Amino acid sequence: MVKLVPKIGLFLCVAGSRFERNVEVNALAEKLAKAKNVARCEIVKDLQDSTTLDSIKDDVESGRIDRIFWVGRFTAYQIERIKRELAAAGLNVYLQEFCDPEEQGVGLDGIDPDVLTRKAEALIRMSLARTRLLVPLMPEELPASNAVLIVGAGVAGLHAAASLVELGKQVYLVEKESGAGGKVALLSRFYPRLCDPHCGLEFCLDKLSATPLAELHTLSTVVGLEGNPGNFQARILTESRYVRQDLCNGCGVCQAACPVEVPRSADDALERIPQFIKPTLRAIHPAYPLAVPGAFVVERKHCPPDCRECARACPTGAVDLEQAPLETVLDVGAVLVTTGWDPYPISRVAEFGYQRYARVISNLEMEQILGNGHFGTGPQANSSWANIKDIGFVQCVGSRDQRHLAYCSSVCCSATLKQAVHIKERNPEVNCYVFLIDIRAPGFDEDLYLRARNLGVVFNREVPSRVIPDPVTGKLGITVIDPTMNAPLEVSLDLLVLAGGMVPSQGTSEVAQTLNLPQNSYGFFESHYQCHPEESQRTGIYVAGCAREPMKVSHAIESAHLAAMKALRFLEGAIVIEPTYPVVDKKKCDQCKRCMQDCPFSSFVFDEKGFPTPDLARCRQCGNCMGLCPLTAVSLNHTTIKQMAAQVGAVNTSFMGNPEPAILAFLCQNDAYKAARLAVDQGLPVPPNVIFLKVPCAGAVNNALIADALSNGIDGVLIGGCQDGQCHYVKGNQLVQKRSGDLADKLKSMMIEPERVRFESLEIRDSGKYVDLLRSYIAELKAMGPNPFKI
Amino acid sequence: MPPRVDREKCDGCKAQDEPLCEQVCPGDLMALGEDKKAYCRARRDCWDCMSCVKICPNGAIETRMPYQLGYHVAKLIPMMGTDSITWTCIDINGNVERFRYKNRIEPE
Repeated sequence: MVKLVPKIGLFLCVAGSRFERNVEVNALAEKLAKAKNVARCEIVKDLQDSTTLDSIKDDVESGRIDRIFWVGRFTAYQIERIKRELAAAGLNVYLQEFCDPEEQGVGLDGIDPDVLTRKAEALIRMSLARTRLLVPLMPEELPASNAVLIVGAGVAGLHAAASLVELGKQVYLVEKESGAGGKVALLSRFYPRLCDPHCGLEFCLDKLSATPLAELHTLSTVVGLEGNPGNFQARILTESRYVRQDLCNGCGVCQAACPVEVPRSADDALERIPQFIKPTLRAIHPAYPLAVPGAFVVERKHCPPDCRECARACPTGAVDLEQAPLETVLDVGAVLVTTGWDPYPISRVAEFGYQRYARVISNLEMEQILGNGHFGTGPQANSSWANIKDIGFVQCVGSRDQRHLAYCSSVCCSATLKQAVHIKERNPEVNCYVFLIDIRAPGFDEDLYLRARNLGVVFNREVPSRVIPDPVTGKLGITVIDPTMNAPLEVSLDLLVLAGGMVPSQGTSEVAQTLNLPQNSYGFFESHYQCHPEESQRTGIYVAGCAREPMKVSHAIESAHLAAMKALRFLEGAIVIEPTYPVVDKKKCDQCKRCMQDCPFSSFVFDEKGFPTPDLARCRQCGNCMGLCPLTAVSLNHTTIKQMAAQVGAVNTSFMGNPEPAILAFLCQNDAYKAARLAVDQGLPVPPNVIFLKVPCAGAVNNALIADALSNGIDGVLIGGCQDGQCHYVKGNQLVQKRSGDLADKLKSMMIEPERVRFESLEIRDSGKYVDLLRSYIAELKAMGPNPFKI
Repeated sequence: MPPRVDREKCDGCKAQDEPLCEQVCPGDLMALGEDKKAYCRARRDCWDCMSCVKICPNGAIETRMPYQLGYHVAKLIPMMGTDSITWTCIDINGNVERFRYKNRIEPE
C-alpha cells in the first residue's frame, strides 16, 4: 500500500491580533515552513480578500496541498464559511484543522514574550501533529422507519399522536386499558379554564380516527423491543377483548343481557358509599376510561361459567368468547413513553382512615363524584347529596413526607382549589375547609386560589393529626389549631377529601423493565431535566408526561409535543450521522466488553464476529468508550487516540523555561473549555503554564494519554470536567475521576507525586475558579519540583 | 514472584466470564474467584512477565520482585502509554531509575 505523504497548507491569519503583538510572526512562519509535511506556509493578511481564498482553492484543486491548518481566531461563522468554500473546491471538511493560540492565553499582556512565542510554537506544532493524521470523513446515512410507537394513550400520548399524524407519520398507540384517555378521562374538569377534559381528549381522538395513519392497540402492552433507533421492532401483546372490534357497533344490547354486576375497581368511592350512588356496570361494558374504541369489552374473570348471554344477545355477532391473545410486531423508528401516573395508596397514611371510614375519599374519587354532576341545586340534583354541607380537604397526604413521598406532586393544591371552586360555584351553601401546609399554586394557578378565597373557602394552615368519626351520624370530627386566631378550630365534616400525590404508574415500571430505561430514586424515568427533558438516556426512546415527573395536564401536553418533535429525527426515513463516531480497532480489541458496560447510552452491540461495535443511531459520540478502553482500541473519528497522542507527544515540555512547571489540561468542551476561554476573554491573569486540549467529554481521556503526557515530561496533568450530576453524558466525569485516581495511586508506587494528576470540576462560567486553581496547582507543582521524566 | 491483586481496586472486569488478566496471561494462571475478584491460581508457575500488571485497567495488580533479585522496597512498575511503556525500577536501597520504551512500532 502506498502511504500518501500529507501535504499541509499552514495559514496564519493573525494580522492585527493580540497574537501578533506578542509573537514574532514572521520568524515563526519561517520556522514552521521547514516543519515536516508542510507544503505551503503563509501569513494571511486578510481572509475577506477573495484572492487569498482563491489561491488556496487553486492549490487544493491542483493537489499541491491536501489538508489545511488554520492558525488564528475565527468565529464559528468564519469557520463554517471557510469549510464550505473549500469543500466546493473538493477539500473534505474533516481535513481542516483550526488552532486558536489566543484562547490559550498567547494574546495576554504582561507575560514574557519569549515564553509566549515558545508556547505559541508548541501549540501550533501540537495541532500540526494532529493535522498530519487527519483523514477525510463523510456523514453516514442510515435508513429509518417513519412510524412511531407511543406507549400509553393518556392525554400526553394522544396529543403527541395527534401532532405526529398531522405531520404524516404512522402512529401506533399502545394502551393497557380497554379504552383510551388515561387518568385525565377520570377528571371532571381541568384547570385553569375549568373545562371538561373529555373535550380535550376527544378532540385528539377525532383527529386520530379521521386518518388511516393512527392505530390504537388497547388491552396491549409492549413485551419486547429490538433493533436500533430508526429501526426498532416492538413486540406488542394484546389481551383478548372477547368482542370483535370490526363488528361491534356499541349498541349496548349485550349489557342489558349480562347477568353479572361488577365493581369498577376495588377502592372505588362510588362503590364504597352505596347510599350515594349505585354503579350499573356489567361484565360486558364499554371501553374504559373512554369509550374509544367503540367496541365493548368482556371482563371474563367476572363471567359465570358457561354463560353466553352476551354472545346470544349481540345482534351483529361481535362477541367472541373464545378470542385468543395476539402478539404483533411493529416496525417503528422511535418510541414515546407516556405511561403516566397512579395515585399514591393513601390508605398507608393511616391517621386519615381512608378505606376505614366511608366518608373519607381520595381527590381522584372526588373528581368522579363531581363528574357525575353532584352538588347541584337544581331539580335534577341527587337528594342524597343535599345533606352534604361541610367538606374538608387535606393537602399533602403522603406528599412532602419522608415516610411516604419525599417530593411534591405539584398538582394536588391546584386540583383541590379547582374542586372547591367547582363545588362552591354549584352550591354556595356547601362549606369547604382546606387543611394545608402551604398552598403551592405556581404561575397563574394563583388565580384559582384567589377565586376560592373570594368564594368563601376556608384555608387553615394546619393539617389535622387524626379524624374521629361520629358513631351515630358517621360525620367526621376534626380539631386543628387555627394559627391566625391561635385557637382551636373544631369542625364536623360530611365528607373528607384527601389530596394524595402521584407515583409512577405500574405501567411505568413495567415499561422501564422491558425497555431497560433508567428510573430515578422515586421510580419516575430519569431525565436531564433542563437541557434534554424528553430524553430517556436511551437514544430513540423519549419520555413525556407524568411518567417523567409529576406535572399538570398542560405541562404534560407540552412535554408530549416536545418529545414528538425530538422523535421526528428518527422518523424521516433516514438518519444522518456525523462521521465523528467511535471505531473499534479489531486488531487491538480483545472483547473485554468494558465499552459495552460503561457506555452511558448502552450503544454498543456485538458484530457478527463478537466484537463490540457502536450502534451509530444510538451513539452520542461522547467518547467515553475511547477513554475507558484499557487497550486504547476505541477511537472517535476525527479525535482518534492516535491524533490525541500525537498532540500530547508534540508538546515542548520546557516551553516555560526552568523552573516553571508545564501543565497539560484536558478540558471538556461543554463546560471546562468554555470557562478557560472565558478567563482569557475576560482578561484574567491566566498563568501561561497551561496548554489545554479540548475533548468531547472529560470521560474521553484515556489513562494512556495521561501516562504519555507524564512520561513525556509534563509536570502536571489537569482534567477539567463537569460538576457531579451535571455531565452532559451522564457519568463521564465520574468515570474519568475514578480512572485518574487509579493512575495517581500507581504514580505513588512509582515514587512520583500522585498530585501531578488532578481532576477538577468546572462550570461554564467558572473562569475565576479556573485561574485560582491553576495558580494553586502551579505553586504545588513548583514545590514538588520538576517531573522526573523531564529532560 | 506472583502477581498480587488489590481487592479494593479489582472489579473482576465487571464480572465478565474472563477478566483481562485471565485473557492475557500466557500461562493461563489468572482466574476469577467466587467473590468476582481476580487471583493467581498457580503462584509458583508465574514467569513474572507482568502482562497482567500492564493490562489491568484499574491498576489493581502488582508483582513483587523475586527475593533472589531484590527484596523489601524493590519494585518494578510499568505504566502504559498509547505507544510507549514507562518502567520505574526501584532497587533495595530505594534508588529509582526510569526507562521509557516505544512498545508498538507501527508503520507510519
